[in-house]
Amino acid sequence: MWGWWRFGKWTVLIMFLHIIAILIFTKGFLLTRTELPHSSHCSDLSQSPCHSSPSSSSCWTKPAVDRLIIIVLDALRFDFVAPSSFFEEKQPWMDKLKVLQRMASENPSSAKIFKAIADPPTTSLQRLKGLTTGALPTFIDVGNSFGAPAIVEDNFINQLIQNGKRVVMMGDDTWTQLFPNHFNKSYPYPSFNVKDLNTVDNGCIEHLLPSLYQQDWDVLIAHFLGVDHAGHIHGVDSTPMIEKLEQYNAVLEKVIKELQNQSGPGKLHENSLLLVMGDHGQTLNGDHGGGSPEEVETSIFAMSFKDLPSLPSEFDSSSCEPSKNICISSIPQLDFAVTVSSLLGVPFPFGSIGRVNPELYALAVCTWNLDDDKTWNNQDQTKLEEWLQNYANVLCINSWQVKRYIDVYSASSVIGFSSEDLFRISDLYSKADENWSYTKNLSSYKNGSSNTSLPVLKRQIVAYSNFLSYVAELARSKWTEFNLKMMGTGIGIMLLSLYCHTLAIKKLNKSYGVSLLSSRDSGISFGLMLTFFMVLIRAGSLLSNSYILKEGKAANFLLATTGIMTLRYSFMKNKMLIEAAIFLLLTFIFRIAIEVGLYKQAATSQFMSSSSSWMLGISISQSLWTYMAEIMPILALIVLGYFLYKSISSCCWGIPKYVIMGTILCYFLVALHWISESNILDLAHFLKGFGKNCIPRTVYAITLVQLSLLAIVPMFCKEETSNCRGSLFVKMMSILSACSSTIIILQGKQGALVALGSLLAGYCMMRLQGIEQHTVSGTAGISILDPLPVLQWSLLAVCLLFASGHWCAFDGLRYGAAFVGFDEFILIPQAILLTIDTFGFSNILSVFGLPLFVAFPSSFNQTEHKSLFPIKLFWIFMVYGLITAITAAATILCVTIQRRHLMVWGLFAPKFVFDVVGLILTDLLIFVASIYYFNGLEDRIGNAELRRLW
Amino acid sequence: MKEELEKNPQSTISSSQVFFIHVCCALALAAGFWVAHHVYSLNLVFDPTKTLCLIWAIEFPVVILLFSCCRQKPEKCSYFTAIARGLLGLPVGALLNALGALALGAPVGLQYLEKTVNWSLLMSSFTFVPTACVCGSSWTDWHRIFACTKPNGPLEFMLCLPAHGAVIGAWFGAWPMPLDWERPWQDWPICVSYGAMAGYVVGMVGSFGLALKMHAGRKQLKAE
Repeated sequence: MWGWWRFGKWTVLIMFLHIIAILIFTKGFLLTRTELPHSSHCSDLSQSPCHSSPSSSSCWTKPAVDRLIIIVLDALRFDFVAPSSFFEEKQPWMDKLKVLQRMASENPSSAKIFKAIADPPTTSLQRLKGLTTGALPTFIDVGNSFGAPAIVEDNFINQLIQNGKRVVMMGDDTWTQLFPNHFNKSYPYPSFNVKDLNTVDNGCIEHLLPSLYQQDWDVLIAHFLGVDHAGHIHGVDSTPMIEKLEQYNAVLEKVIKELQNQSGPGKLHENSLLLVMGDHGQTLNGDHGGGSPEEVETSIFAMSFKDLPSLPSEFDSSSCEPSKNICISSIPQLDFAVTVSSLLGVPFPFGSIGRVNPELYALAVCTWNLDDDKTWNNQDQTKLEEWLQNYANVLCINSWQVKRYIDVYSASSVIGFSSEDLFRISDLYSKADENWSYTKNLSSYKNGSSNTSLPVLKRQIVAYSNFLSYVAELARSKWTEFNLKMMGTGIGIMLLSLYCHTLAIKKLNKSYGVSLLSSRDSGISFGLMLTFFMVLIRAGSLLSNSYILKEGKAANFLLATTGIMTLRYSFMKNKMLIEAAIFLLLTFIFRIAIEVGLYKQAATSQFMSSSSSWMLGISISQSLWTYMAEIMPILALIVLGYFLYKSISSCCWGIPKYVIMGTILCYFLVALHWISESNILDLAHFLKGFGKNCIPRTVYAITLVQLSLLAIVPMFCKEETSNCRGSLFVKMMSILSACSSTIIILQGKQGALVALGSLLAGYCMMRLQGIEQHTVSGTAGISILDPLPVLQWSLLAVCLLFASGHWCAFDGLRYGAAFVGFDEFILIPQAILLTIDTFGFSNILSVFGLPLFVAFPSSFNQTEHKSLFPIKLFWIFMVYGLITAITAAATILCVTIQRRHLMVWGLFAPKFVFDVVGLILTDLLIFVASIYYFNGLEDRIGNAELRRLW
Repeated sequence: MKEELEKNPQSTISSSQVFFIHVCCALALAAGFWVAHHVYSLNLVFDPTKTLCLIWAIEFPVVILLFSCCRQKPEKCSYFTAIARGLLGLPVGALLNALGALALGAPVGLQYLEKTVNWSLLMSSFTFVPTACVCGSSWTDWHRIFACTKPNGPLEFMLCLPAHGAVIGAWFGAWPMPLDWERPWQDWPICVSYGAMAGYVVGMVGSFGLALKMHAGRKQLKAE
């Protein structure tokens, strides 16, 4: 074993470094807020210290608004709404929504413009989620159905439905994706066609005005998309954008006029509130998604149709424009859900961490005062006190709800808050609460006629506000702010590991070169340069979301490029032309498979809407294709089995022979399994008694037995063979065949084809390896270690991942594979099966197949010294590991650079998770494989000789 | 000019001839663009098929006529044979280029067929046709120039460098294709064609520079 340890320690060191780097980086990067499935209920309020509302009809708060009209204008910049006098310079797109400005300046107490601050990522889907849940964005929605974006967290739409409110939706179909069964009526229009500026808007306008007269709804949501699309296509400073804004102005004017007409006592919109709001802003180019002020700042215009007193100045944070009589204050979007819930009198969403905004609340809330207390005196003081009393109570409920969420969250989540933070939260809350019991008592027996209660109430409100803002700030820093120090440390350790890796490879090179006394070589061959360039370009490509989306194609492009280079070499040498051509043909086939995979991906992905249309031609002769699809995999299996049979009949003995025979049996079983599943031959009844889970389970069992045989037997008996190339080959064949049957049955029918393809490609590569170096080194018998075949092998591995229908996203996992042979969900076996399915070809088989380049004598340098075997094998493992590590490091770097990117959670983060898991798996497999292959290899070479070498 | 070229019996040519041929090829390329733009008001971005067709239709006769003048062994092979070789080389080269592009990921499908055909004809007149005119079916020359990349003298550099430049340029030109900028020029084969043409021009400049250098070197040798 000591011979293995001589270089094996490097693999252990590197694996250790990788794991540490990844752990540290992940802790700083992945902002995992887990979603809790709980929701708030009316009855929960009895646990709170706050006043419950006196009448039985209301729930948490007294409803202040009967009907709510929410008009969402997608990508509404703040300067679309705010008067141009707020900005340094008047731009052509400003002051177009004149009706909103006029309303805000005419009745400042009932209409107001707010600057709303969104939390990045500023995409519509994420923002709608944030607006309705009142929570911060999440990365992994653990526990819900993957792919479908439906919201699982408690949200205010859900609360509306639970409390018997009727919701009507029109416009952007994102709403119906998020809330599939929530709306009484919905008029969704497709949102994916960016070039279409009018369909969604016209649909909205068509339904919006008639709906205003109808009585069958309580909340109306109209989502206009035109401004967003106009921005994406033409930019902000463009005629279509200005036309859109003018169109909206006309529509809003009509809506407001209708609402005003209907707002008299006893009429339909007596107690209505109109909200015109953006979900996010946009840059001047029309982009959004990131966290820049232009993207984050949007607007909310709120208007109620009652004459209301204005708010005490302590709670008025607005900045005013004296000349125009418009005041604008700022509100975080986080506060939206809870404020609207309190206005409608429904329970606040469970996971909301917002605060009931006093200004928005004040716009609507005095209305019930007028109804309830007919005898209220006209003193402003009393009125104000009553308002404050009410608002303090609402904040009390609000704080209690937030505190409850924080408690439940930190109790159930793995990565919660630190104990100091929790202590500070509890401290702030208990302080506010202490005051509250005092305030409550005060107001209950003094009955609001004293001057002393006013400051007490104000203090109380400030205490609650402090608590709420502290929680929001803390949550933001924990959930939306990256810990750059930790990320930096992680990257640093990762780079250190890369340095160690290259050191180890240099050391191997040295012992390889020194033993042959060929130090005259500069060591930089064309192959090395090409490899370096390819790895670099692949690493650089990860910086862009487009290349991540089409990573399979990019990898295939590089693979085909190396294929063309080898074809050129084989032309140069007039050798192996057929192998090189077959290799290119195989890359072409893989590419088609990858495109089919992309096609599948486009069907579910929210980022890809384009589908390559040539695929549609395939479905013309449906029956023939389905027939082919049934037959081809089975044929491929037969061919694979035949190859294995040939290999054991030529050179094999002992355990490996039994292992390979077991695999052939497995292939037979797999073929039987597929036949029984398919409809071509009606064998289903034939196998019915057998049970459909039996075959997969038998295959798993056989694989386990094979693997344990391979692992245990060499420890006890050592066969003496002189030919170590042959024994290496047999070892490789046996372990590959042992793994392959399970992987094939998990991957389904494509598995057999992919396996056959990779076998052929591996054969070609093995034949072609070293084709370049001979010309470089000149003298025969000296082989420079050439990294090009290893690069090809690792690119092929990437292609295999994509060709077998996977992609680097969570909906790219094939969940069906977890249930091959199992009916019910058991976490651990299913997770293992899923891992084997995902990384089977790209990692497991690739790493175990690496000795391919050593096991066969390269046709270009026959006289290789056999004692160099272990070194070369190790070198290949190390180079493969290095290529994987460089890619993963590049992913980590790119994710860091793009951490504020629009698709950071949609694309970069899943890619990061995939790469990181793949890297650790590769490290582990290299560790295992090197032990497996080296056990016995060194005996044959003889320790004495090894000692001399090393 | 033709006679002057033909008078030169050896396969090496002077740097002024190299310059002349390259300038003619570049001018033909420019003329192709000009005709497409001004006469037919076509644009590579909006109608790649027709524009590419026009460009190669103008480029390729110029290439054939010029390179046939500097054919190898002019005593054994007439000017018209060289032209015939060039004509035969065009479809063969186009087929090879198209296969290479398909292997690298050019879109498959009937609606792309015309574009691919025109693109590969253009590529063929950059890469394959000149060598076909000059070397004919001499396998050793082809092998030396393209497989080993060991061209001899300015003439072979004149064949080798622009061809490699065009291929490498096309390779780099393919990289913007998957980006999500939604620009019309990202479609196959527009940016690839631009890349190929840019690479071709760079290759021509390089080959002219080398011809100058070699010429100077030879003069120096003679002087010594």
